[in-house]
Amino acid sequence: MPPVSDFFRKNRNELGLAAAVLIVVAMTATLSGAYHTAAGRTETARIIFREASMLGIFALGAAVVIIAGGIDLSAGSLIAFSGTIFFGVVIMLAPDDPGTRWSSDPQHHFPQTDELAPWIPVVALLVTLAIAFLVGSFHTWLITVIELPPFVATLASLVGLRSLARLLIQDITALEYGQRQSTITINDELLTSISRESWWVACLIWLVLSAALWLLLSRTIVGRHLYAMGGNEEAARLSGIRTDRLKWLAYCISSMTAGLAGVLYACYIGTTSPATDGMGYELNAIAAAVVGGCSLTGGIGTIAGVMLGTLFLRVIIDSVAKLFRSQPDLFEGLVVGMLVVLAVAFNQLRGAGGVRKPYFPGALGLLNVAIVSALAGVMTALTSSDAKLRNGLLVVGGTLVVLGSRAIAERLASRRSTN
Amino acid sequence: MIAPNAARVVAASFVALFLAAGSGCSKSPAPMAPGGAAPAGTPAASSGPKRIVILTNGPDPFWDTCEAGAKAAERELKLTEAGFVVDFQRGDFTDKKQIDMLKQYTLATDIVGVGISVFGPQNRNLIEELRKLQSNGVKVITIDGDVDREKFRDARYAYLGTDNLVGGQVLGKAAKALSPDGAKFAFFVGNVGAANAKDRMAGFVEGAGSGFTELSRLDDGGDRAKARANVESTLDQHADCTMLAGIWAYNTPQIVSVVRDRQIRDKVKVVCFDAAEASIREMGEGNVDVMVVQNPYQMGYEGVKLLQALVADDQSVISAMYPNYSQSGTGDIYSTELRVVVPDTGSTIAPTLFGEGTDYFLHSQFLEWLKERGLSSS
Repeated sequence: MPPVSDFFRKNRNELGLAAAVLIVVAMTATLSGAYHTAAGRTETARIIFREASMLGIFALGAAVVIIAGGIDLSAGSLIAFSGTIFFGVVIMLAPDDPGTRWSSDPQHHFPQTDELAPWIPVVALLVTLAIAFLVGSFHTWLITVIELPPFVATLASLVGLRSLARLLIQDITALEYGQRQSTITINDELLTSISRESWWVACLIWLVLSAALWLLLSRTIVGRHLYAMGGNEEAARLSGIRTDRLKWLAYCISSMTAGLAGVLYACYIGTTSPATDGMGYELNAIAAAVVGGCSLTGGIGTIAGVMLGTLFLRVIIDSVAKLFRSQPDLFEGLVVGMLVVLAVAFNQLRGAGGVRKPYFPGALGLLNVAIVSALAGVMTALTSSDAKLRNGLLVVGGTLVVLGSRAIAERLASRRSTN
Repeated sequence: MIAPNAARVVAASFVALFLAAGSGCSKSPAPMAPGGAAPAGTPAASSGPKRIVILTNGPDPFWDTCEAGAKAAERELKLTEAGFVVDFQRGDFTDKKQIDMLKQYTLATDIVGVGISVFGPQNRNLIEELRKLQSNGVKVITIDGDVDREKFRDARYAYLGTDNLVGGQVLGKAAKALSPDGAKFAFFVGNVGAANAKDRMAGFVEGAGSGFTELSRLDDGGDRAKARANVESTLDQHADCTMLAGIWAYNTPQIVSVVRDRQIRDKVKVVCFDAAEASIREMGEGNVDVMVVQNPYQMGYEGVKLLQALVADDQSVISAMYPNYSQSGTGDIYSTELRVVVPDTGSTIAPTLFGEGTDYFLHSQFLEWLKERGLSSS
């Protein structure tokens, strides 16, 4: 096979995603005024890359676990927990601000967080990453020794870590501010500049981490063993691969990337609020990995695919924010949900049958012809600026005709093959 | 068979088409008129109408009433004819959401005014985004929730909403009238750090005076289930708690629900801010003792009016609202109405307790006021 076509065959998933990203960007650039000035394009690129980087960092961790045949649901809570630990350590190490006083005890002062000595965030980062490593190790112990399913072990952390962070922040703030609070705000120029001029920091971390994980997965024996374990854990174990150690590695990568993302999110926002930080982010990470080509059954996926999947999600979210000028936040979930279903559904076309597979068999098939048509009609009506009912009904009718024809054709084909 | 990469492109195209259809949402039914011209310094002109955006701190029925007021202003002040459109957007009770949305506003070429209910008044990154908007020529005001006035009042032109400290004092005085011998009370709120929450609670403590002991102040991050759990845990831990204070609109229905379930209404007073639909109904059934009610309808109306005046540089409107405008003292604060609502019968709270600027309503009178405006909450 010629090298060029070999390249396309091997990287068709990534190339497809790259093309998809370009199409959405081109569409948005055409319709949105934000792309019509150089400053707007630059700022938009910054927003997309910064957001993609922060999501991409822990999506990489989620992907490694998925490739290894597991699942990690704790990322969102770990992001909230890490932000709390990071800012908590920062305010505990920060010097007192003599211009302030506790209301409960005037002898004490609030911490001064406007200009922190560089060693303070460094120590706080190391403490946070160390704790994230411990969380990953704990997950591995629950899964390999206690033999909890990964879903249950990490689900426990999803619930428990956020609660722990909410308790911790109360005690930390009581210690430093003289009263319990549910948030910590930091004003240090350097730390909070991730939201502004230091946007590239998250991008750099994402790229370095991606390169390191690409090397690990594609160029090392450990990487091949991770794929082998994800494909068939029992076979991998019987062939002498130490699956417990591989799981330890995978879950620690996942928890430490989530920990790192937690620090970046806290700096980006400037405030850590464990009650709401990172809420539902674990699903964003899994979505990015799945859209990027990872199979939830394990053993399949690439770092480039996950990066592009992440970028695709962020480009879509940015497009929704720019193009749906009215209530974009309400449309975001709808568009992203639809995208994930479409991406995964099209991935299934790789399997046996492809487009020849019957999609609307029996009563369930007919019912879903109606459901999908109704869904298409509702979405059209919601996104129409006027004549909502007419547009919605037109699309319902059109979709019914197309899908109904398909259902009829499937039944005719089935009868022919039976005869 | 469709190749997967081709399929992916088809999916993206589908989504892109959907986005293109969605962009139709921004179309205005009315044409642009010359009166909508933005002042110098505004972002590059776009062909459609200019947007005045109101960004809330979260999704709460309180804001539905505010939106009704904002839309009424759009209609009555004929903003559409003047080339403006009011766009009401909701946050999600997080700083991140507001920061992300403000970043998008900075890039939008059609936004000329932003009124925001700030969720994190001390958040430096949020403040920087407000400053950036202002430096782009966009007019910025705060509505209902202000920035930290000591540090960041330059991040907006002015504040418009309830003076929450005064509101807290009013609720405190009402609480004192309900329990003259004092009470042990707890606060329930979405975010104890929010400027309006801090001011209300501080005002309450001040207004109630001696004899009142605070047991706890618990926040729930906007999670109603958590809000209810907070009430339950407070009552579990403090059997001597005799007063429950709901600080944000949705807190009161959760308080009432727990009090009713535990059948302790005779032992516990329920006092609150805002009039959620359920709270109004519960007062009618005797389960709420007093509501100190803001006027979000007025906030929406006056907010849009002020933003439009700032964009058009209409000094007569601005001077009428801020006659002593200054970014020091209280010259940049426009206080909206405050009401005390009590049950029709049997309340020990008298109208003479409160100073000028606070209206006194019986429950039935308040219902009538809502009905006249087609509102279900305030």
